[in-house]
Amino acid sequence: MKLYKKEGNILQVISFPTENVEKGDYLLVEDLEAAKALIAQVIDVQFAAVPGVLEELLRTLPDGGEPIQGEDIDLMEIAPHITYIQDASLLVCKIRATFENEMLSPSSSWLPSRSQSIIKKLSTPMLMKLARIEGNLPIIIGGTKDTSLLTIDASAIDGTLNIITGKKGCGKSHLSKLLMVNLVGYKATVVIFDLNGEYSSLGMTSDGKRNIYHDKIHTLTPSQNFKVALDQLPLNTVMGILVNALHLPGTSAREFRRLWKSLKERGKLNMQELGEAIRDLNCNQHVRDALASRFHSFVNSGFFTDCIGEATLLDETFFKAKDQGGAIVINLKNTSNIDRQIVVEYVLGKLVDSLSNWKLRAVFLFAEEAHLYLKETYWDDIVTRMRHYGIFTTFITNQPDTIQETIYRQADNIFLFNFTNEHDLDVVSRAARVDAETVRSIARDLPPHHCLTLGKVVSDFPIVAKVRRLDVKTMGETRLFFTNHKAQSCN
Amino acid sequence: MVIEQYTITNKYNFPQPNIDTILPQRFLEQSINSLNQVQHPLQLNHTTTPQFSTFNQNQSNLQIKQTPITLKPNRQETIIAAIDTSTIKIGETTKGIITAVRGATTWLQNHTYKYTRLGPFIFHITEDNKKELYNTLERSYFSKTFGSYNQINPTLLQMPTRISNLLERWLQTMLTKTIKNGVLLFDGSLTAGTPETPTVRLNEILSNARKNCSTVLAFSKATTLRSNGILITEQLPKYDPPYLLETEWIKPNSQMRLLGDVYVARLNRSNFAFRLDIDREIESTERIDAVNKLLGNDLYTQSYPETLRLSHILCTFTANEVLAIKHFINRKHGIQIINRPDMHRLLFGSFGFRGEAYA
Repeated sequence: MKLYKKEGNILQVISFPTENVEKGDYLLVEDLEAAKALIAQVIDVQFAAVPGVLEELLRTLPDGGEPIQGEDIDLMEIAPHITYIQDASLLVCKIRATFENEMLSPSSSWLPSRSQSIIKKLSTPMLMKLARIEGNLPIIIGGTKDTSLLTIDASAIDGTLNIITGKKGCGKSHLSKLLMVNLVGYKATVVIFDLNGEYSSLGMTSDGKRNIYHDKIHTLTPSQNFKVALDQLPLNTVMGILVNALHLPGTSAREFRRLWKSLKERGKLNMQELGEAIRDLNCNQHVRDALASRFHSFVNSGFFTDCIGEATLLDETFFKAKDQGGAIVINLKNTSNIDRQIVVEYVLGKLVDSLSNWKLRAVFLFAEEAHLYLKETYWDDIVTRMRHYGIFTTFITNQPDTIQETIYRQADNIFLFNFTNEHDLDVVSRAARVDAETVRSIARDLPPHHCLTLGKVVSDFPIVAKVRRLDVKTMGETRLFFTNHKAQSCN
Repeated sequence: MVIEQYTITNKYNFPQPNIDTILPQRFLEQSINSLNQVQHPLQLNHTTTPQFSTFNQNQSNLQIKQTPITLKPNRQETIIAAIDTSTIKIGETTKGIITAVRGATTWLQNHTYKYTRLGPFIFHITEDNKKELYNTLERSYFSKTFGSYNQINPTLLQMPTRISNLLERWLQTMLTKTIKNGVLLFDGSLTAGTPETPTVRLNEILSNARKNCSTVLAFSKATTLRSNGILITEQLPKYDPPYLLETEWIKPNSQMRLLGDVYVARLNRSNFAFRLDIDREIESTERIDAVNKLLGNDLYTQSYPETLRLSHILCTFTANEVLAIKHFINRKHGIQIINRPDMHRLLFGSFGFRGEAYA
């Protein structure tokens, strides 16, 4: 390989076919005289502009587009050298760091010698060693192209905002499960808003046996094993549900607050009393109607109960997860849009409450397709405000434009799967820790189950890895019509 | 000698077998010999000079007959075959030059173009080896040498053209021996008696063609022949092409001999015409018939036969090939490419241009 050009933090390197360099690979451009080296990542592989190639190609096709038939008697065997030159490639590389005195710095301000620099591929283990990516709490993400493992440190996810995104069916949920079980393994408390009911079986192996996480996975299904009594609810949480999930106007909210306090003082805070109180409320007809419609939403959700025995104490589940680690899976499958919002609002309110009272130290929150159960603006609030309470969110989505730009700007880690759509790539490239060229170039060519990891977990050295298999029972697979049809045909 | 590492391909894709491969073998041997003589350290200048295809530059006086010979395409299936060779200077060494030579034969049969390319052969030509190199190559195929080297001592820069010419004549000989009832297209003229083309040799080639009932048509891409002071290809009568214009009273210099009659050929409506030499030993009607067969079988956009154009295209060295040849000599023979400082640039800065003229 030979250094050809440097423009800003972009390096252009000439590479020959035998050198076998691909997108995503790292190169070490070593200038021995200067006693330093550049670490650059290949973000695009193009044909080198070899003079005469066009003529070479054109003269093989002069016969009406069909290759002209013939024989080359090449006694000196020059032809392999011609193809060798013809297939030379131009590697467009992004400079990631300078290595000098055993230290890495993000500088790209110096110019290595074009003629004397030695360019070689930098293996992932060597890169990880130089960048000190591995830590005391390793999480193996998967295998890299050079058959080494990409291992990140769980503490690099601590206190961070993460985004897992990519187009449908490329393995996002699989990666979030992998992160989740590893966090649980390190005794972390994890809460998952499970839209498709695919996380509840994480405690089972693929052949249906219990695995080591079995006792740490707590699945709560609203209106089935997850109900709450009004008496257990703090007013702030209820107001959150009414205002944010059910969009109760301000005047009605004030009236409801007054009503709630009155019932609380009288020790009559239950669904039946609340319904009667609203019915008998002496106020503006519109206010009463607004409160009545929200009350009916409460009733229809099946999430609220007057039977204390039926009510699940979320605090207890948190407590179980607190000491030994655990995942609280909020199963939102088969839950209507309104009910989902009520449940999510309740859980978030409860989380803030528990964290602010130091009942919990911190929580890793995994939110799949978050836009389906909470307003975008509200997530912005969670990311900026609730982070200080100790809620560290991971968004999982196949529609990156449903996440606000402000969230991307704050993202510490991005796990990016394949995207072909330019618009999607544009959205993702707004993240502060990502450069647009890398995202556009590498993400477009990622094969299924391959993930480009960006951000703090990889010390800002984007690395591509094939996400490793996880021996858990998968529930997130798309149900297909023709699979059965094919099976029947075979029979 | 490291000849063992190279092997001769024992086949040659002409329409007929039994082709002598001695010349390519000698080319290969001499090529390797010459490259092995290179001693380190050695440098090549970075620039390459334009490649040459041989063309006639002799000056003569002649008259053009203004009555054109009308042509009518004859679609009787006929093999059209063409030959061209090319040479390029790859660079200079401290002792000489490194040059590459290649030849191409193209033929049209059953409405399909096919080709055979021979080479490239790379030679390191020095003042010390140029005589031996040339004579060895000449001896290897042609049963007797014509002393052409000794007649006129070529300069180093003339040597690539000489070697290329040798390869071209050999390819022409092969073609004339193998193709029957065909039309054979040569690049250049049928001028003999020059150091690189002895009369006997060209006569032998034309004679072979006649024996196999083939006709040689030699097209010159450029000519210096003038009639009344004007280039013969620029005196076209207002007449519908295709046609030929006959010439007469050619008076070549004492050493040169024209083995063909010279015509001006305008084959289609494009505004181009070319000098065409046709074997003068052939009957006039046969000559016209050969051109008619060419028109009936080959394409001739821009008034130039496609088969010959392909031969030229196929043997021409592209910049990519020059790079590959440099890579080859570096890998196989350890010859490093080192930029020699351009003295013009060095001394005269931006005024030190060469070969770039501002009109």
